[in-house]
Amino acid sequence: MPRGTVTLDDLPGLGPSFARALVPSREKVAKVPAHAVSVLGYDQDPARLARYARVCGFTLRDTVPPTWLHVLAFPLHVHLLGAPEASVRLVGAVHVSNSMTSHRPVSASEPLDISVQAGNIRAHRRGALVDLDARIDVDGERVWEGVSTYLAQGMQASGDSVETTRDEFVPELPHARWRLPAKLGVDYRAVSGDPNPIHTNRLAAKAFGFPRPIIHGMWTHARALAALDNKLQAPYRVDVDFVKPVFLPGTVGFRSWATDEGWRADVTTKDGAKPHLRMRVSDLT
Amino acid sequence: MSHNAVVIGGNRIPFAKSNGPYSEATNHDMLTAALDGLVARFGLSGMRMGEVAAGAVLKHPSDFNLTREAVLSSALSADTPACDLQQACGTGLETTIYIANKIALGQIEVGISGGVDSTSDAPITLSDPLRRTLLKASSARSFPDRVKPFTKVRPRHLSPKAPSVTEPRTGLSMGEHQALTTESWGITREEQDAIAAASHHKLAQAWESGFFDDLVTPYLGVARDAILRPDTSVEKLAKLKPVFGGPQGTMTAGNSTALSDGAATVLIASEEWAAEHRQPVLARIIDAEVAAVDHPGGADLLLGPVAATGRMLARQGLSIGDFDLVEIHEAFASTVATTLKAWADEDYCRGLGLDGAIGTIDPSVLNVTGSSLAAGHPFAATGARIVPTLAKLLQERGKGSRGLISMCAAGGQGVVAILEAV
Repeated sequence: MPRGTVTLDDLPGLGPSFARALVPSREKVAKVPAHAVSVLGYDQDPARLARYARVCGFTLRDTVPPTWLHVLAFPLHVHLLGAPEASVRLVGAVHVSNSMTSHRPVSASEPLDISVQAGNIRAHRRGALVDLDARIDVDGERVWEGVSTYLAQGMQASGDSVETTRDEFVPELPHARWRLPAKLGVDYRAVSGDPNPIHTNRLAAKAFGFPRPIIHGMWTHARALAALDNKLQAPYRVDVDFVKPVFLPGTVGFRSWATDEGWRADVTTKDGAKPHLRMRVSDLT
Repeated sequence: MSHNAVVIGGNRIPFAKSNGPYSEATNHDMLTAALDGLVARFGLSGMRMGEVAAGAVLKHPSDFNLTREAVLSSALSADTPACDLQQACGTGLETTIYIANKIALGQIEVGISGGVDSTSDAPITLSDPLRRTLLKASSARSFPDRVKPFTKVRPRHLSPKAPSVTEPRTGLSMGEHQALTTESWGITREEQDAIAAASHHKLAQAWESGFFDDLVTPYLGVARDAILRPDTSVEKLAKLKPVFGGPQGTMTAGNSTALSDGAATVLIASEEWAAEHRQPVLARIIDAEVAAVDHPGGADLLLGPVAATGRMLARQGLSIGDFDLVEIHEAFASTVATTLKAWADEDYCRGLGLDGAIGTIDPSVLNVTGSSLAAGHPFAATGARIVPTLAKLLQERGKGSRGLISMCAAGGQGVVAILEAV
């Protein structure tokens, strides 16, 4: 555990944290709490895991998908950014990229020590970027870690603005197509606990500038990972860029291909012309 | 102990379009009709077969023992055991391989393989949330517990779900998958329409010449394959609009198989049993192979049979030129065209782990009495249509004539087999 860790008895409920995260910050400079927050010995809920697997397209196994572990760490993201010393608000911040490393397969029956710390604030041409670093240990062994990068639009950070470079996208016909029903946002909210109304409510989506609700980026990430499920063996690292939101209901395309490092996959518009999400899986064995 | 498994003959009912003359008939009804025709043709009434294996792709939950129930309705001895087997569109050939293998191993002396499908009487299922609610309620012990799950049912859960021929992992229908393959292999509309027209013309000619008289028994007033259009032509087919591959697509209702109803069966025995029972012998079942490709990873869904063919030929020390007749199941005209192109493609074949290209065939040996585009394609029945048809054709060509069957199936799979005239 990093120094200055606040240990909670249980994962905080997302409703109240979210309510705080909704209150706009008057501050211009991006700030996050210095302390980490953690929950020790967290017992996973097998029934919720089964529902999560079904909504995201994973086969229910004794070992859990790495994106499920992100879902378990997410309440601590919200809790940290809901703290009084945080000026970055999760609602309104854009989840731009995510990386996670699965060090070894994690069993659904293992109690988890989950901790999250915020930091690495840097300038971006559209605001400030901030990382939420999540770690999960079992009996002192690091089994999983994830870095979620959010863009706090319009906020300031010191230093030169960083430009994220992306590989060139080559439009190609998708070899799979996913139909996303209107209720997918509600279904994913039920298994992820993420109550952000832009995923479920048309008016809320409009308030944030979207014509229709958008599906959670972490659903799209999970669904893409599920499509490669049988090909991946921990340890591996998976990086995704959330390029463009997916509106509900909607239809998207998917294609994947093997590389020297592991796998690449794109979730695209249904004609394959534009990317929604780009994913890289790197084998760490 | 090894025996030769031989095809004695076959029987099917004429195939018909979905919601046509068989719209009231169930899989059970049609499979029983096909079995009874086979029993009548070969004098099997009251006889105990070693085993009957058949299957259906679209199956009602109440049909968990479809084949055994059809046997009990048929004129076969009620002591005949049966099992259901399902290998998507390859079912009718896979059941043939299963029965032939048991005969070859000496476990049975005689058996029947088959397949049946009805797209008219397709099962409609409950939505997933409603199904889970009902399961939860039925396992509850008290009345309130039984009622509680229903409070979560929403109107959208109540709409029933019709089955679809969509690949679960890709969300694409078989036609949409084949449209991707058609485009990437550069198959033209003209090629496809020519294959479709030829299929109708060849099947019509075979019916005209009486070829099917001892392979088909009329059912419910239908005496001939009802999808067959003897007067179709490349010009007529060229007028149809594309149904797969978008507005610029080349695949139409004319060069894709129609949703069909029908059933087919094959009588298979050891050579000894056939001789002892004075039954005719058409062809020996020499070998078979099943293969699969990674279609969720982008491989061509319906080219599974290519690797199966290559591996089976290598094992047998045969080349594609050693075959007097070739049957490639016409799931779509473009499936036939791409299979032929893939056979000839050195790089593609090496990519499958084969030693090189499979090669090319003389078009005159291919699907000589037409195939699924003209006959129809009741999914599980098609393999059991092709086996006796090819066996009879080989026997007409004389002892030692060899035939190859190549069938694509859902899930990126392919089933192939070799027959040889006795």
